[in-house]
Formats: sequence, C-alpha cells, structure tokens
Amino acid sequence: MLDTSTNASSHSLPIFEIRGLTKVYTTEAGEVHALRGVDLDIVPGEMIVLLGPSGSGKSTLLNILGGLDRATSGAVVFKGLDLAGASDRTLTMYRRRSVGFIFQFFNLTASLTALENVRLITDIAASPMSAEKALTLVGLADRMNHFPAQLSGGQQQRVAVARAIAKRPEVLFCDEPTGSLDSESGVQVLEAIKIVAGEVGATVLIVTHNADIASIADRVIRFSDGRIHTIERNTSKREPRELSW
Amino acid sequence: MRVLDIKLLRDLWRLKWQALAISVLIAVGVAVTVMAYSSQKALSTAREQYYRETRFADIFATLKRAPLSLTRRLAAINGVRAVDPRIIKSGLMEVRGQVRPAIAQIISLPERDEEALNRIVLMAGRLPDARQPHEAVALKTFLDATGLRLGDEVSTVIGGRRITLRIVGAALSPEYIYMPSPGSTLPDDKHQGIFWMTRAAVEEAADLDGAFNAVAIAITPGRNEAAIRAEVDATLAPYGAGVAIPRADQASHAFLEAEFKELKTSGAIFPPIFLIVAAGLVHLVMSRLVDVEREQIGLLKAFGYSDFEAAVPFLRLATLIGLGGAIMGGALGAWLSQGITTLYREFMRFPELTGDFHFAAFAISALLATGLTAAGALVAVRRATRLNPAVAMAPPRPTTYRAGILDGGYFDAMIDPLSRMILRTLFRFPVRSFMTCVGLAASLMVLLATQFVYDSFEVVLDHSYYRIQRWSDQVGLAEVRGPSAVKNLTQLPGVLAAEPIRSIPVIFRANGIEERGGLIGLNPGSELYRPRDEDGQALPLLSDGLILSEALASKLKVGIGDPLLVEVTEGERRELVLTVGRLSHDYSGTPAYLARPALNRLVSEGDVANGVLLLVASDARADFYHALASVPLVAGVVSRDDTVAAFRDIVTRSFSTTMVFYLGFAGAIAFGVSYNASRIAFSERVRDLATLEVLGFTHAETAFVLAGEIVVLALAAMPLGILGGHLLADAIVAAYGRDEMRLPSGISAWTHGVSLLAFAVAIGLSLIIVVRRVFDLDLVSVLKTRD
Repeated sequence: MLDTSTNASSHSLPIFEIRGLTKVYTTEAGEVHALRGVDLDIVPGEMIVLLGPSGSGKSTLLNILGGLDRATSGAVVFKGLDLAGASDRTLTMYRRRSVGFIFQFFNLTASLTALENVRLITDIAASPMSAEKALTLVGLADRMNHFPAQLSGGQQQRVAVARAIAKRPEVLFCDEPTGSLDSESGVQVLEAIKIVAGEVGATVLIVTHNADIASIADRVIRFSDGRIHTIERNTSKREPRELSW
Repeated sequence: MRVLDIKLLRDLWRLKWQALAISVLIAVGVAVTVMAYSSQKALSTAREQYYRETRFADIFATLKRAPLSLTRRLAAINGVRAVDPRIIKSGLMEVRGQVRPAIAQIISLPERDEEALNRIVLMAGRLPDARQPHEAVALKTFLDATGLRLGDEVSTVIGGRRITLRIVGAALSPEYIYMPSPGSTLPDDKHQGIFWMTRAAVEEAADLDGAFNAVAIAITPGRNEAAIRAEVDATLAPYGAGVAIPRADQASHAFLEAEFKELKTSGAIFPPIFLIVAAGLVHLVMSRLVDVEREQIGLLKAFGYSDFEAAVPFLRLATLIGLGGAIMGGALGAWLSQGITTLYREFMRFPELTGDFHFAAFAISALLATGLTAAGALVAVRRATRLNPAVAMAPPRPTTYRAGILDGGYFDAMIDPLSRMILRTLFRFPVRSFMTCVGLAASLMVLLATQFVYDSFEVVLDHSYYRIQRWSDQVGLAEVRGPSAVKNLTQLPGVLAAEPIRSIPVIFRANGIEERGGLIGLNPGSELYRPRDEDGQALPLLSDGLILSEALASKLKVGIGDPLLVEVTEGERRELVLTVGRLSHDYSGTPAYLARPALNRLVSEGDVANGVLLLVASDARADFYHALASVPLVAGVVSRDDTVAAFRDIVTRSFSTTMVFYLGFAGAIAFGVSYNASRIAFSERVRDLATLEVLGFTHAETAFVLAGEIVVLALAAMPLGILGGHLLADAIVAAYGRDEMRLPSGISAWTHGVSLLAFAVAIGLSLIIVVRRVFDLDLVSVLKTRD
C-alpha cells in the first residue's frame, strides 16, 4: 500500500520533472527557506494531494509549478519547458495555455457575474469550452448571471473551478480549495474538481491542511520544513462524496 | 463587449465617488485654464472688432486753435490715412442727485462721416438734428451711472457761457471705453460726462468758427508711427499744440491695455498652478487607487494575461476618469467664461462682446491632465505587474511598524494607543504622508494667494489717499492762474485749507529710455500732499532736485544723484536737466515732484498754478460743490472719497468674481485631496477599523483613527501652505506691476483667517463623508473576506 519512491510509475512520461528545487525569501527579518531541495516527477492525469503544516513549502511549490513564482535554484521542467529559466513572456503563455488555478479565497472578480468571471478566461484561451458549459459542468447552470456576492461560498468556489477548467488546462492547481468552506460545500467543490478534471484530462495538484481529502488522491505528498517528508500511493481511492469532516 | 471592458465600467461605477473627486480636481485645472484664455480671447476679439469698425485713431493731439485748412497739410504727411479735426471743450456740470459736479466734455461730431475717426456707436436714441443746436448724444456709461435719460436737459458752463444740452441719444466710443478722471487713475462714470454735438453747435459754444482744437489721425498700417507723430508735432507746433500722443498712451486705451495685461497675468499664473497641483494630486490618488487593486492584477496575470493586458484596464480606467474630468472642465470653463464675458460686457463697454471658447487652451490642458492621470496609474500598475502573481495576489504582508522616536518614555504615558496608530502610519509611509501634506498645502497656498489681493488694495488706498495725498478735493483749472485763483477757492463754503499745485506734462529721458509723465509742483512744506519714502517718512520737497517715484526711477534706470533730461510737452516745449534728489514710494502712478516755485522758475513763469488741493469739511460738501459749479475756469474737480469708492467698486467688479471662482477652486482642491486620501486610507485599513469595533471601540474612536491621519497632515500642511501662499503672493505682485497700480504683497490676519477657515471647512466636509462609512461598517462581512 505504501510506495515511498520519488518517481511516479514509469509507464508514462512525466508532465513535470522537478530537481533540487529551492526557494529562499528575503524579508526584513532575514532569509526564509521555503523549499530546501525538492525532487519529484508528476505524470499526466494524476491527482496529487500535498499535505503539510503552514510554512512547510507546499504552497510555494504549487506557485512555482504554476508559474506564479520563481525558484531560487534547481530545475522545473514542464513537458520539456524549463520553467525555472523561462522568460516572463514564456511564463505568461504557459499560464494562459496550460494551467488552471483555484484559490482558497476564490479570487473572483466582484464586479463580474459568474458567467463573466469564466469569460475572463475564455476570452484569452486558445481552445476553451464555452463559459456556459463550464458552469453547467460544476452544477451552476442556473446561477450564471449572479454576482459573486449573491452566491454562497461553495457556489463561488465552483465558479472558480469552472473558471479554472474552461480553458481545458493540462494542469489544475488547487490551493486550499475547501479551506474557506463547510464540509458539505467542500465536498461539492471536490466533486466538481474531480468531474471536470476527468472531462478535460487534467493533472490535478491540491494543496490542503485537511488530511481527509488525501484519500481521493492517486498520490499523497507530505511536506515538512521545505522538504518532501513522505510520498504515499493510494491503493484504495475514495470518492469525494464519501468524505466528510 | 469584452469582459475586461465590462469590468472596467463596473469598477468605474464602484469607484464613482472617488473617480468624481479626481475628475473634479482635473475639471478645476482645465476649467480655470479654459476660463482665463477664453475670456481673454473674447475680449481681444471684441476690442479689435470695435477698433476696426469705429476706425479708432493712431495719433491724438490737442492744440489751442488752428484753421480747418490745416487739416489738408496734416493729411498730406506721408503715411497719414485719415485726419479728423475736432473741437473738444470741457466744463463742470451739475447733475441732480449728485453732490459733486461732473466734468462735461463737449465734442464736435464730424460733418462728413467718411472722414470720421473714433466713430461713436449709437446704442439708443438718435444723432442730433442739425436744426436743433442744443441736441447732444451722451456717453452711455455716464447716463447709466447718473440715471439721466434720453430727453433730459443738462447744462454746463463753457468759456464763461452757460449752454443747455438736450440728450437725444446714448452712445459708446472707442476713445472713452474707460475714462480715467484727472487726479485719479480709475474711471469715475458718474463724474465723467462726454457729449457729442453738431460741429456748428460746438463751434458757437467754443467760439471756434472754422477752426479745431483737437485732432485724431489714422496712419497707414506698417508706417513709422513715431516719425509721422514728429511731423504732426512740427505742423501743429505754431498752433499751441502739446506733443501728440500715440494710441499706446491714449488714456482709455492705456487703461484697457493694463486691464488686458492683468487678465493675461492671472491667466498665466493661476491656471498652470491649478493644473499642476490638480495633476500632481491625481497622479498620487490614482497610484494609490491602483495599489489597492494589485491583487486583481496578480489574478489576471495568474490566468495568463500578460503584463500589458493586465495593465490596460487600469490605464483605461485612469484615462476615462481623466477624460471625464477634462470634459467637465471644458464645459465648466466654457460656462464660466460666458459668465465672465457677461460681466465684462457690463463694465468693459464694448458694443458687442460675445463669449468665445479657446480650444487650444482646452486641448492642451485636457491632454496634460489626462496624460498625468494615466501616468499616475501607470506608475502603480507597473509596481503591481512587476511582482510575481503569487506575491501580488497574496494579501500584502502586514506592514512592519517600528517603535519610533515618539515611543518610550513620556510619550507612552501621553499618547493613547489610537493616537499612536495614527502617528505610526504617518511615519511608516513618509513619502505618501508628505505628498498628501503637499497637496493640502498647495490648496491653502492657492487660497491665500487668490485672496490676498484685497489686502493689497487696502494698503494701496491707505498709502495713496490718506498718507500721501491728504486733500479731500482737487480742483483743476482750465488755464494757468495766479494766487488769486487759490484765494477765490479758499472763500468757498466749507474749505478748511487750500494749496496751489502746478503740474506739467513732460517726457523723461535717461539711458536711452523715454517715459511720458508729469512734473508735480507742490508748495514746500505742503500739508495736503506729502511724498513719502519706503519707510513711510515724509520727504521734504527740493528746489534743486526731483523726488522721483521708485517705479519711474527703475524704468529709467536712474538713481539718486543721476541727471535726467526732462522735455516739457506744452507751451514752449523746453528741455531741462534735473537731478534725482530723493526716491519716493508710491503704489500708483509714476510721479515726479518738485517744489512749485522751482518748477515755475524752470518754465519761466511767476507764482502760478493750474490746480488747487483743498480740504473741505465733510458736512459742507454739497454747498461747496454747488458754489464751485459757478466758478469760472474750473475744468474739473476730483474727490478723494469718490475716488476711493470708485476704486473699491472697480476692484469688487473686476476682481471679486474671478477671486470667488478661485476660492471655490482652491476649496475643491482641498476637498479632493482630503477626500481621496481619507477614502483610500479607509479602503486600506477597513479590516483594522472593523477589528477595532469588534474589540469594543466606539464608532467615534474608530473614526478618530481614520480622520486623525488627515487632521495631522492638514495641521502639518498649514505652515507649508502659508509659506507657499506668501511666496506665490510675491510672485503675483511682481507679475502684476503696472503704472496705475503696484500691489504690496502683505497678507492680513483676516485673509489668513478666511483662507484657513475655507481650508478647514473643505477638509471637514470630506472627512464627514468618509467617516460616515465607519458608522456603516458591516463587521462580519469585512472580517470574513480577505481584503
């Protein structure tokens, strides 16, 4: 049941190859080592959950993989593209074409309706699905013209899910997607993530504090003090609807 | 419509009040510019048209008497286009309801219209009938001021003969747009009557059959005016002529020019100040506004929008706000310049004056304002796009505050925690605090500098009419007279003191510079007229040297002990060399004083005078003026009280309106800065404020934290603004200097008070609006959502 090897199963080429990754933040209080040398391969279609206490480095890794932040040293290769050495322009195109994000605080644009928030992405993506379809997939067909303030937290996060997958991303990054939600809404969001990721065949990385969520992943990676502590492969995955916390 | 455009419009709506406050700042800058330049354009267009249509002359001369046949010789001078010989005679005229008699000038109308220069423009009634010798057209401003109407009869004494005039028409004349009265530099409509009658009627009254005593000459454009004037002088010299004056020195034109110059100066000083202050503030406010939006920029970048694509909505937003302000400013400026033009129509006395719109002024100021607004946004947008999206989206790390110089020791005991929050925020963001402080100071500076003018006028009045010239009335004589004339006047009712005065028109020459002016001969030890030096000390009159006004000395570049060439432009036109003995300090005119006996000796005359300074008991004025109207050879009388009143009236009319606008504009700037600064502080600190309330602080205490920041900055801005106000006042004084009036730059306690009050009211209003938000805080929703 436990598989602690760094590498994923070898039958598929990795979508991400991560080697010796470090990240150091310089603050007024001194240097903070967020990542202290991470090695990891991720294969297409995997669902990975990153667990760990605050400051363990899991969100930093997610940000670097998503092209939101840059590594201090080491290599991150996405399908042959070296993200560590990529130009701003390359990173922008990477985020535009290949990556979807879901954040803890939804980060919807308050002045746009649900539909318009999704269209923010479909306007610039290369071959997106329609914004209506994306919202239908997350079960919000009847809430398309609502503003974020008119939606519950769970509904807002599902809009964020629709917004993230509408471009048909290859990778979906979810940073504490259920962190601001109650158990029932959280489950609905995780279900939405699973369904839509399956629909577009995206690789999913979920950062969470919630160990219960780990049981829906293919692999569970535990972080501690800027390093990978353990990697577990789930032999018996559960469905999101089976969860509660 | 693209989603980003929808977002843009919704953001604009969400920020409408802040956007409006910014737009108002821009609008103010643009409106002041448009107003100043448009009204100037309207005025100069109107004057040019007026001069052209009425054929306003280029050269003016007066003489004793010359036969009309001399006109042909004048017309033959190379470059002369038209010659208009006239008869002008003046006398005193009693007007019902007025204590002091008016000065009436009777002018002959040309017999053939094609010869006419300085044509009058009939505004009401008709021209005199040739068969009715008593009919006259009167200057409309005189009728308006005195309440005389068409059909009324008035009488005057010309050359000892009383003639009666029946007013049949009201007219305006390019020659008398303004009529500065003798002894004063300001127009006095009530006491300046101009009447045009048929030539035959004036010939008879003046005893000048087939002759003329004044001439107006138009020259072909491009010709050498000075050379033609010299020829005119030579031709007229045998006929008792004074030196001909060019249009530039014609009284009405010169006054108008000075008025235009003043408008130009205020148009050159204030709009750039308003525009620069407004643009600077907009820049600051816009950059803080975008700072608050940095998370949105991070989000757009996370989705794959490029830096440029993420920046565009914010730049568009800024440009829209800038454009909105510019358009508002253009409309406001157009409206204001219409209003000002209406005002000018009343006291500029042009027959036609229509509003105008200075498009270039609008375009340039609008472009500048919009550009600076967008630049302000760009600075902040660049700050946000330079960040990694991860950093931009993360809530800004709590600002690192440090214990400052105010902490520890006594201060801990003295300052409560809320006050400490205010002070730490101010010191934590020194640049921002400083910029807000500068913005507030700028508004106070403009307030002071626009209001100080009133103080200056009061100083000028006190100095000129109560300290230097201490007479209550000054009588002008039609001819040079001996001591008996003074004696006659002394015997009039109410006269407490009388002193003769002799003034002679001259041209001063030194260092290749030429200035027209007059020599004023005063009795040594004069009580009624005392030139003073810079310290206010009375200067004793000299027999062997001139007391020269500082302004004239500086124009001629001479100092004490320097010789000055003085050409007398009447009578024998002799040239004198006089030494500058002392310098006097005057705020109006460019006088040169000499002891009267010495002056008379220089022109080889005995104990003569052409004017009398009088001190008349105030309760005997009516009797005095009534008696004076029958005294022969009195050409005019000037009253100090009337002059001062006219002065105040003119100042009120010509300055007040613009100054009220500037006061409003400066108030709007103070409001805009304060509102935006506190509104942004509110956005940035809404969680802090909500937390305070949750912890049990009252609304008032929470509001104190928000308002305190602005109040501290406003207090700090005061000394800065006052200093700036004084410097700006000095600059304005330097720019405004003109012959008729130079302004002193002191700012009174009253003006300080009014400006500070307006400043406080503007800031107070803005704080009330923002602080009300503290009372409406929805604590749960504020604390639940991340900011």
